[in-house]
Amino acid sequence: MSEPLQDEGTSASEAAANTATTTAPRVLGIRFTGSGSEYFRIWIVNLLLTVVTLGLYFPFAKARRLSYFYSNTVVDGQALAFHGDPWKMLRGFLLLAVLAVVYGVAGRLSPLSGFVAFLVLAAVWPALWRASLQFRLGNTSWRGLRFAFRGDLKGAYLAVLPIYAPLALMLAAQVYFGPPVATQGEPMNAVQAWLIFSPIVVLYLMFPWALALIKRYQHGGYVYAAQQTQLDASGWSFYKLSLKGLGVMLMGLVIVGIVGAAAAFAAQGAFGNDLPKPLLFAALVPLYLIYFALTAPYFTVRLQNLVWNGTHSPAIQFASALRFWPMAGLTLKNWLLTAITLSLYRPFAVVATTQLRLAAVSVSVSGELDSWMAQQPGDSAQNAAGDAAGDFFGIDMGL
Amino acid sequence: MNDVAPRLHLDYFDGRSAAAQTADIWIEAGQLWLQSPLVRLSYPLAAVRWPERQRHGQRQVLLPDGGVLSCMQAAAWDDWARAALLPESATVRWMQSWRLVATAFALLVVLTIAGWRWGVPAAAHGVMALLPAAADARVGAQALASLDQQMLKPSALKPEQQRAIAQRFAEAVALADRQIGPLPDYRLHFRAAGKALGPNAFALPGGDIVLTDDLVRLMDDTPDALVGVLAHELGHVRHRHGMRSVVQAGLVGVVAGLVIGDFSALLAAAPAVLAQAAYSRDFEREADDDARRLMLAAGIKPRVMVAFFERVAKEQPSQMPIAIASHPANEERIRFFSD
Repeated sequence: MSEPLQDEGTSASEAAANTATTTAPRVLGIRFTGSGSEYFRIWIVNLLLTVVTLGLYFPFAKARRLSYFYSNTVVDGQALAFHGDPWKMLRGFLLLAVLAVVYGVAGRLSPLSGFVAFLVLAAVWPALWRASLQFRLGNTSWRGLRFAFRGDLKGAYLAVLPIYAPLALMLAAQVYFGPPVATQGEPMNAVQAWLIFSPIVVLYLMFPWALALIKRYQHGGYVYAAQQTQLDASGWSFYKLSLKGLGVMLMGLVIVGIVGAAAAFAAQGAFGNDLPKPLLFAALVPLYLIYFALTAPYFTVRLQNLVWNGTHSPAIQFASALRFWPMAGLTLKNWLLTAITLSLYRPFAVVATTQLRLAAVSVSVSGELDSWMAQQPGDSAQNAAGDAAGDFFGIDMGL
Repeated sequence: MNDVAPRLHLDYFDGRSAAAQTADIWIEAGQLWLQSPLVRLSYPLAAVRWPERQRHGQRQVLLPDGGVLSCMQAAAWDDWARAALLPESATVRWMQSWRLVATAFALLVVLTIAGWRWGVPAAAHGVMALLPAAADARVGAQALASLDQQMLKPSALKPEQQRAIAQRFAEAVALADRQIGPLPDYRLHFRAAGKALGPNAFALPGGDIVLTDDLVRLMDDTPDALVGVLAHELGHVRHRHGMRSVVQAGLVGVVAGLVIGDFSALLAAAPAVLAQAAYSRDFEREADDDARRLMLAAGIKPRVMVAFFERVAKEQPSQMPIAIASHPANEERIRFFSD
């Protein structure tokens, strides 16, 4: 469909020659050159092989997909490269699959075993999350230099604390008072109800703060050459984002409500009171789509801008200028076409979204890139052990 | 001598410095050779990770020492790879040919249908063999308790009427037990239900069978039809349909989640809902089969069920199309019990 784009890239050596004399920060453009039709072909064959092997091919398919997206993410004329070994990723995949099966079975067997499995999963999740960040970053390179993730284990647990603490409180209250189901004829007393439900409210109030901590942990651990990034974004900015998001959600609800009411009124005129149910259902679907084409992209756009505009290191500054309406339009289009084609449009949707999101990002670098050197790995024994665990299992939870 | 092997000009990064070097590469004596202004290196071919052929993006060669070769000109790379006789995997050939991709897609559709039709039920069968019957009983007891709390009320039928129905069914089961093999344990419960359930009967995992007052009143004059209805529910119990539908919908949900779950949880949930309905139609046929055999063994004419279907159809005139409805179409069932 579209012509190959890779010829446009200037060779790295030419680009380097241009920067050699300048000292002011240089803006590196980011382009995504992937094509939907090519990714469609990769996706179909990957899917077939995954189905035929009963899922065992999944890590290999994932490695190929990441390689395709990386080799099409061109930063200043040079693409990213994915170095992950799919055989290691298979180990991580099997480990996660076993965890998921144990968790699912435990939940079905009895509430107690489900509870214990939940606690175990919650306890290991931050460690797995960190290992997967280490694996992904450690297997990504640009200009031959590997990235790294240097967040520590303690930080991973601290980042999820605002979610874990109220959850633990809620579970403890439930264990102490029994499940919050109003048994017949015996209403829950007020203290009991307060103890069980107030942590839920706390959980919602904590969420933006938790998101801030999680993003600060992630964006504070990225390492390239001698540069380690940090995220400058206040907790308040995440609260503002959530409040605005809530506003957009309410606005979406109001729009859907008004349109829905008008449609129902019009339909009543046409059919009388005897409205056919399938018609009502069919009318709800597009409304639902519009609703999700507003709120989800709003969060995506604002979060990407907030987080990447705040990410920098001494010599690197990221910038993101993603706009809401193009993203909302694309999301609606992707949703509709994916649903109509019974998910066959999905690879095109993924490529188009990646293209839009990456086109909004740029990086400015001060200093001479050519003189940047890889750091000696393993400057602390603890880090090396964590790296090894993540690397041995090839844990990669992200998509 | 090196002039014989085809060469390619590209960018080389040594993995330690971000500076690019221009380099020539060629293959000779089972090694990949690399010559830049600064270094000359060689690697065994098997230790090198070669890029897969693709139309878009850069070609990157990952060297075992952490170095990366990067080629911007896809056409130049392809020409060189062909001339250097680099092997290409079958997977890549499939991916780069629309004809083979169409074949893969057709295969995928066939596999999906086969997996849906036979794979999921077979897998569920395996899972069920591992699930102890005690699990069914526990799930059933929990379901009955929560139904009693939310939807059902104690039956308003006279105790002697309840006893008569239970008695009649027990005799039929005892007769059938001797002729067509052991039937499972069951517990019969009479309940009054609201309008939502109407005249109804259902079986829960573990052997609890619930019969609503409305259904008893509907079939007051043909008690044999009630035996048929209960026999149908006993069929569900015998085949552990309740648990099987939970397991099968779970399996379909997992598969759908793997395929499109990262795109939309809502779209991924749709196949599970459809599966629930489609598989439950198979279950109804299986239970009908059991009911018919039990009635024949107990000396009851299956034809009595025709009245039941006709009256239930009159109670609930709106029929959903067969793709969404959980029971087979009425005409089909009437024919089945008429023969």
